[in-house]
Amino acid sequence: MRYTVRHVSKLGYATPVARARLNLRLKPRLRAGQTLVREALRLSPEPGTREDQFGPYWVKTTQVGFHEPLKKLEVTSEFVIDIEPPQTPQSGPSIATVQAEALAVADLSDLAPAPYLFASRITRMSAPITDWASPFLPRGGDIIASVSALMDAIHKAFTYAPGATDSRTPPEEAFEARSGVCQDFTHIMIMALRAHSIPAAYVSGYILTRPPPGKAKLVRADAMHAWVDVWCGQALGWVGFDPTNNCLVGEDHIAIGMGRDYADISPIDGTFIGSAPQSMSSAVDVERTS
Amino acid sequence: MTEQGDTPFVGSGEADLFGPDPETDSLAYYAPQAPSADIYASSRLDIRKAWHDLAKGFAGQCHGNLQLLQDYLDRHVEDLGLAFRITGDEQERPWPLGPMPILIAADEWEKVTDGLIQRAELLEQVIADLYGEQSLVKDGHLPAAIVSGSNDFARRMVGIKPAGGHFLNTYAVDLARGPSGEWRVLADRARFPIGIGYAIENRQALARATGGLLASVGTRPHSGFFNALRRGFAEQCQRDDPRIALLTPGRFNQSYPEQANLARQLGFSLVEGRDLTVRDGRLFARTIAGLKRIDALWRWITTRDLDPMNFDARSQIGVPNLVAALSQGLVVTNWPGSGVVESRAMPAFLPRLARSVLGELLSLPNAATWWCGGATEREFVLSNLDDLVVSSAFRRPITGLPDGHTRPGASFSPEERAELERGIRMRPMDYTAQEIVHLSTTPALANGRFEARGFTMRAYLARDENGDWVPLQGGFGRVSEQGDLRTSLMGLGDISTDVCIIEPQRPSAPEAVLKTTPREIRREQGLLPSQAADNLFWLGRYGERAQQTARIVRVLVDQIALSGQTGSGQAGDTSSTASRLAKLLFNLGAIARPSKDASYAEIAGLALGNGRQFGSVRSLIQREQQIALILRDRLSRDSWRAVQRDMPGFTPGDVESMALACDRLIERHATLSWLLSDGMSRGPEWQFLNMGMSIERASMILQAAQAIIPGSASADDLSALLELVDCQSLYRSRYLSMPYIARVYDMVLLEPAQPRGLSFQISKIDKHLTAIPPLRTDGMPEEPLRAVGKLRSKIEGIEATLIGPMTIEDLRKDLADLSEAISERYFLQADRSDEVRTKRLF
Repeated sequence: MRYTVRHVSKLGYATPVARARLNLRLKPRLRAGQTLVREALRLSPEPGTREDQFGPYWVKTTQVGFHEPLKKLEVTSEFVIDIEPPQTPQSGPSIATVQAEALAVADLSDLAPAPYLFASRITRMSAPITDWASPFLPRGGDIIASVSALMDAIHKAFTYAPGATDSRTPPEEAFEARSGVCQDFTHIMIMALRAHSIPAAYVSGYILTRPPPGKAKLVRADAMHAWVDVWCGQALGWVGFDPTNNCLVGEDHIAIGMGRDYADISPIDGTFIGSAPQSMSSAVDVERTS
Repeated sequence: MTEQGDTPFVGSGEADLFGPDPETDSLAYYAPQAPSADIYASSRLDIRKAWHDLAKGFAGQCHGNLQLLQDYLDRHVEDLGLAFRITGDEQERPWPLGPMPILIAADEWEKVTDGLIQRAELLEQVIADLYGEQSLVKDGHLPAAIVSGSNDFARRMVGIKPAGGHFLNTYAVDLARGPSGEWRVLADRARFPIGIGYAIENRQALARATGGLLASVGTRPHSGFFNALRRGFAEQCQRDDPRIALLTPGRFNQSYPEQANLARQLGFSLVEGRDLTVRDGRLFARTIAGLKRIDALWRWITTRDLDPMNFDARSQIGVPNLVAALSQGLVVTNWPGSGVVESRAMPAFLPRLARSVLGELLSLPNAATWWCGGATEREFVLSNLDDLVVSSAFRRPITGLPDGHTRPGASFSPEERAELERGIRMRPMDYTAQEIVHLSTTPALANGRFEARGFTMRAYLARDENGDWVPLQGGFGRVSEQGDLRTSLMGLGDISTDVCIIEPQRPSAPEAVLKTTPREIRREQGLLPSQAADNLFWLGRYGERAQQTARIVRVLVDQIALSGQTGSGQAGDTSSTASRLAKLLFNLGAIARPSKDASYAEIAGLALGNGRQFGSVRSLIQREQQIALILRDRLSRDSWRAVQRDMPGFTPGDVESMALACDRLIERHATLSWLLSDGMSRGPEWQFLNMGMSIERASMILQAAQAIIPGSASADDLSALLELVDCQSLYRSRYLSMPYIARVYDMVLLEPAQPRGLSFQISKIDKHLTAIPPLRTDGMPEEPLRAVGKLRSKIEGIEATLIGPMTIEDLRKDLADLSEAISERYFLQADRSDEVRTKRLF
């Protein structure tokens, strides 16, 4: 399948900010089954310096620096990508096998399980989340079935409530409130899995905004989306679970990056001198073109 | 001394009969329970003699009362401001220093340091591999989770090679000496050598307290280590005469006093992240003379905080894009990410890694360690919990160890133990266990006599200019506060001691004051970062303001005494001198708006001591002390001590005690400004400090003139103003008459030769500004110089008889413009508005 993604972000500052340096993580870093047809990342105004780099974690970062004070900024990311329909396994090894294999893999790279086994800045260990998730993750349970049950439980117990949380709300609070958005559900599920020694990663990307006739539009189709990649043992590797839509990740999920949590792959961060942006808006359009 | 003793029996012959005199050799009566496990009692004859010589020397110096020595050291520690800050604690607490050092024989120490050098080399190669090929992981020598679990593993650094060639330039290590004299490594410190500043200070304190005693027993000096460290840094830099800076997280960091001390001792510039900027891949410090390139950075902040663009975007203390400078030759030590080997799980693998990486056995073993990530190790740990200490492998809070601290397995209650076991089953890779390490004891001074106490020590290594490791001859000793507690887990109440490496055959030269040996002698002033200039300027201003406010209070108190007006500051009484002084104190923020029935004595008390009012003397002194803390590396020891001297006590409302407090405050300030001035070379630091003082004094004169002569003034008012400006006696000797307004104005504002007057202050500021190196290369005067020139010529053109409130208001405005011009030109103006990090924009 071929998809065209267009993502426009606008930032406005009340007073111009000086010496802005930004990390933009909007270009896709390709995974197996993805082929890039073309991509463009346009900025207005043009930055003084600009450099693409990979990592850390499975992400492509464009670092830009502005020499002139910045009053507003418009970032347009546009790319065309071919995606092969991913395998959606019905069953897998036991959780105990996944736990043992995760520790045994002699690999430190960005797609290995080891980097995604530990607490990170946002996904710290939380006893309430651990205890809540434990019944779904028995050591003898099948990894696919157990993680699906956990995902289903999150989907059922939590209210999808845009605006109830923002990107700074700690996952522990969203868990307490049993409501949030895709980012919160993803973080909570990652914390639950890692607490049980199951490698889990935060994936950011997009989903199809214009469903084919007869199919319902998926939730979170008008903005960036997030879901969980779970490492399901040597044989299966990473399998995507979307707790917001309660489904395994299919061909309409377009991943652009993967990290331990949102902080590793947030679309824009950086430093500047001045006050925080006064206005921010973002629009996403994803189209299936063949 | 023995001849003058109280007992008639003391003498060489009798000493054998009755044993040594406890007053002169108290070690003779030291009786550890297990002599073979005591470093003194089990020592060789020549080393034992050194212990005795030292103990006798101590006793001789304090006439048998060893507590006196402790008191001396306590005072010394306090004087140095050498305090240890507990995280989250606003107040620093003194780090108690015990007088009796731990003596280690040089040959025993050399075996230890040989082992440490081997270990440093091993860690260097492990780090180099993890940030390079990662073959240790790929070949199965090191589990990937040991690496990825560490907070200090910086994935961003993979593939970047250190410019200077080394990942580690310094290395600190915690050591324990077992009951039979065998040494063990307890923990590795690869990020920064915390405690090294204390090790220097402890040695200096002890050396000072005991004269040449340490040297006479053959103590090896520290100086070689620090010279090697400095040369090692310099050698790696691209430029011949490099600029080296120590990057501190700032004064709220636990280790800040130590960092400030180190920077001062080694001649490095102490900088914070906001002093630095990266331009085109090079690192620069923002100084009063523009951007100055930095060649090497000794970082004392964690990797994740080092660069908000490349590590944690939330960091407010790092340098954006520092990573870009790393690949362009900037030397940073220790290299970002080196801390990955500090994890508590790493020692479990080091013996095997030594074989595969070095092809050698570890000559100095570490405490036996088991990482629960391995199935066999996990089962071993679970079935031997009582005989082990349990740790969080990566120092994070984990199930069963909610604070992340190490605990002996035997100390867990049954419920806690069940929780711990559950945690180990769920996330085994988060846990490690270590054998219980037993310690040998050392004689420690407690309650005026020697008692056996368990000890551990931290040792330090640095690379010299050839890249070879040089150990510090000594270290930072930690002696257990509890009696004979002999485990390596030590508590908050532990005391520190010096560690002396003894070579009795070759008594060394007395410990020299640490010298740094530059390649050439220069007179150029060190780097003055804009921020430090700013702080010096304000140190001057706050100090002067505190003094001037105390002067106003003193004049007010004198007025009360003269007129007997202790009563209310009557509403109708707006014309009295006292009311004008009260108005001045209000204008300065020293008091809140006085209520109608407040007495002047009450007002005076508030202006001195009300800490809630920002302009009170108490608040000003606190502010001055806070700024001094930031400038600690630039202040001499004596200035530091003087500035830390607290507000004198007084009884609010009691005229006499307030007058006395004012006198003391004025003296405090005079001493301090003399010490500051005396201890500083006449470079930019001194210029900024003095400029701050002069601007403040000029501002005070104008404000006082405005409040005391609001158009008309009585003779009393004018006398008060003369008193404030301290030229009462000059006026009397010159005019021999009552004060007149025009004459007072002329003396206070216009007369160029009057050192307390306005005109004189402005000339001084002019001189200071002229002496500071200019930024402009076209020879045109910079803005501050133009502003001061304008003010000068204005004052020169004023006719004393024509001065009115408007004239003074006009001068105040010009002075404010001058102050603004100075801060705009020299200080980090743009950065004063907080640098906002946009963490998440969506």
